[in-house]
Amino acid sequence: MLFDSPAYFVFLIPVVLAYWCLDRRGQNIFLLLASYVFYGWWDWRFLALMICSTTMDFVIAQKIAPIGENANRKKWFIFSLLLNFSILGTFKYFNFFVDSFSAALNTMGIHNIPLPLIRVILPPGISFYTFQEVAYIVDVYKGRLEPAKSFFEYGLFVSLFPHLIAGPIQRPGHLLPQVQKERTFDADRFFDGLMLIFSGLVRKCVVADNCALLANAAFGGQFGPPNFWIVLIGTYAFAWQVYGDFSGYSDIARGSAQLMGFHFMVNFRQPFLAPRLQDLWRRWHISLSTWLRDYLYIPLGGSAGGKWKTFWNLLVTMVLAGLWHGANWTFVIFGAIHGVVLAIERHLWPASKPDGAAQPKPFAAFLSLWAQRILTFNIFCLSLAFFRSTSLNSAIEFLAGLSNFAWRSEYASAFLMLSLFSVPLFLVDLLLEASNQEYPFARASYAFRTGLATAAIVLLALFSGNTFNAFIYFRF
Amino acid sequence: MRSSISASEPAAVAYAKGLAWICAILIIGLEVSSDYLLKHDSPTYARISQQYEQALKIRPAGTREPASVLMVGNSLLLRGVEMDRLKALTSSRMRIYPIFLEATGYYDWLYGLERLFRRGVRPEVIVVGVGVNYFLESGVRQDYVPMLFLDARDTLAVASDLNLDHTATSNLLLAHLSTFWDTRSAIRTQVLSRVVPHLQDLFSLIRPAPSIPQGREFDAIAIPRLQRLRDLCESYGAKLILLVPPTLSSENAVGQMASAAHRVGVDVSVPIDPAALSAKFYDHDGMHLNSEGALLFTSALAKDLPERVATGNSLVSRVQRRAPDPVSALSSLSTQRSLIGSDR
Repeated sequence: MLFDSPAYFVFLIPVVLAYWCLDRRGQNIFLLLASYVFYGWWDWRFLALMICSTTMDFVIAQKIAPIGENANRKKWFIFSLLLNFSILGTFKYFNFFVDSFSAALNTMGIHNIPLPLIRVILPPGISFYTFQEVAYIVDVYKGRLEPAKSFFEYGLFVSLFPHLIAGPIQRPGHLLPQVQKERTFDADRFFDGLMLIFSGLVRKCVVADNCALLANAAFGGQFGPPNFWIVLIGTYAFAWQVYGDFSGYSDIARGSAQLMGFHFMVNFRQPFLAPRLQDLWRRWHISLSTWLRDYLYIPLGGSAGGKWKTFWNLLVTMVLAGLWHGANWTFVIFGAIHGVVLAIERHLWPASKPDGAAQPKPFAAFLSLWAQRILTFNIFCLSLAFFRSTSLNSAIEFLAGLSNFAWRSEYASAFLMLSLFSVPLFLVDLLLEASNQEYPFARASYAFRTGLATAAIVLLALFSGNTFNAFIYFRF
Repeated sequence: MRSSISASEPAAVAYAKGLAWICAILIIGLEVSSDYLLKHDSPTYARISQQYEQALKIRPAGTREPASVLMVGNSLLLRGVEMDRLKALTSSRMRIYPIFLEATGYYDWLYGLERLFRRGVRPEVIVVGVGVNYFLESGVRQDYVPMLFLDARDTLAVASDLNLDHTATSNLLLAHLSTFWDTRSAIRTQVLSRVVPHLQDLFSLIRPAPSIPQGREFDAIAIPRLQRLRDLCESYGAKLILLVPPTLSSENAVGQMASAAHRVGVDVSVPIDPAALSAKFYDHDGMHLNSEGALLFTSALAKDLPERVATGNSLVSRVQRRAPDPVSALSSLSTQRSLIGSDR
């Protein structure tokens, strides 16, 4: 069930209405069932996998909590990690590793080795719920969290439908207590939830889907062989597509959760206004980057082991972050580029100062800030060529076009169309950056915001197309 | 204890309810206005609905009457056939009823024809001309088709044929039921074309043409589809003719298609060998014939089609109606090459 499809709203509205008629226990059971229906809408077989994974982690968590003497705690902990990553690895990475191994054998002159391949569809959201379960297991093991006593509560923490498919990845310490305690109806937050849903729909259906037309054409070769202008159109359009798509998804997820009294962490904070890549990752897919920081980068040693060790940790973290996005070498290179740039930034600016965009600055500092923002945005866009391409060769061929400046009149229309959809979102980001709000005019009167929502519906009516583009992060 | 909304309704709830009402009113307003705009302002809708109404009148021709021919296809025929000229050239032997909708393919017309048959349309001959790539594409056009060519049950059958997931299926069903939902891409294009200059040129560039599968995959897709289309037409007493319009550098695909059609006993018309037409007869997209190309194609079609219609305007045994060998069909066109020339 895609968030931008009518089917989702046919599902959401009765669920929310029925939800507020129940007591807490009833709400949890009802939401768990609704979440399973939501997930099973794709394919009920994937549901069985998720329920198995949830059940095992629920049981294991009881055995690893640091309560009393339990010699087998560590074994159960390692077993759980192995289990979770095995499921993820099998469904998401098995064929990738087998193919890569086979290619390596071929380069060594060893051919015709029969290797097993699993031809299965990637279960939706597996990367997201696996990371959430691993975070739960680690937190319980470290004593930062008490294991859930009720399966319904833990099951709902894992599978609450707004975050189930593509996040934001919820921290157990943030979401589980919300599941466990009474939720009261807060009318203001309910209204904010509605506004977030409208904001997300506009980001997805108006900005992302229209930018996707251009990005798909540029990367798909419909504009002709890649040249400088096509690379620009393709990478810029894809950057705004993926931003509109995923931030839109996150807004709808957060808004939907808020309708039921849950609070999800903010997942995007104007990433294209970041003056450095390090800052961009603090603003982009925040739930993943903080997860990686807390459960990978810091356990690896973080920045505690000296300069070179820090660089190495950054590189490893970003390569794995890249690989998390998909089983392809293009994602590995995407992650590696970011790891290297982050290491360079760390070398050039060892003690990163907080972003002072809100402070009054002299003109030179203002220019410097914008120059850094533009540079960071362009580095990010170029790295997206690897993220978007289907193979390393096609990414390199695409970027090789940068040396050819042949112009066609259609490019002007493409740039105009791109501006038409990206500039308004950019202006919204400037507004949000200045006002530090969750959505534009979040503190305006209800009447004004109702008008804003009405305008959003009109925009959706005028600019959304017929073709559903599945949210990009659904495939992760 | 039940969680409940407090008795003194806060302003937020009142505005949320107001927003729900606004949504409902806007949805109704959009539905009514898009229906009005479609019926009064859309040239595509005007053309299709007029052609469709004409087609609904098709009944079997009486003795000594010209055969009734329903010709369906996409923009390859819309732009490649000068219909008035074709009708004038063939009027003594057949009466042609065209329905051409851009970007349509096999499934659009399979279900489109089925619905026409259900509504009582009984032509003697059905001519389907969508180009090889659109014939082999697996998909249906998301606008106009759900509303004009499909019944509600067809949307479910299409979803089953195309292995659509529940979301895509419900979307297709909604497009059938709601004019606004069906036409929102057209609305976007209309709005954008007022803002972005040369939008049509841009869109014609960025719409990917379906690719043509190669080798065995070609036959694995083409043959069952041809059989199904043929069986559908025959079950309503009509002969199927597959018309293959030329596109630039499509000679191999056309040959493969003709061969596949021959194998399942479907008559195939290749009025012009694609190898015989140079790039100067096409628009810049290499897909559509320009006015010169259309003139040639129409003349060739006017010559070829009546013969094929005459050989099969009543249901006779399939063996008798077997298409000519595609190789000879193509080689018979070799004289065209010398006439048209090739400057590629």
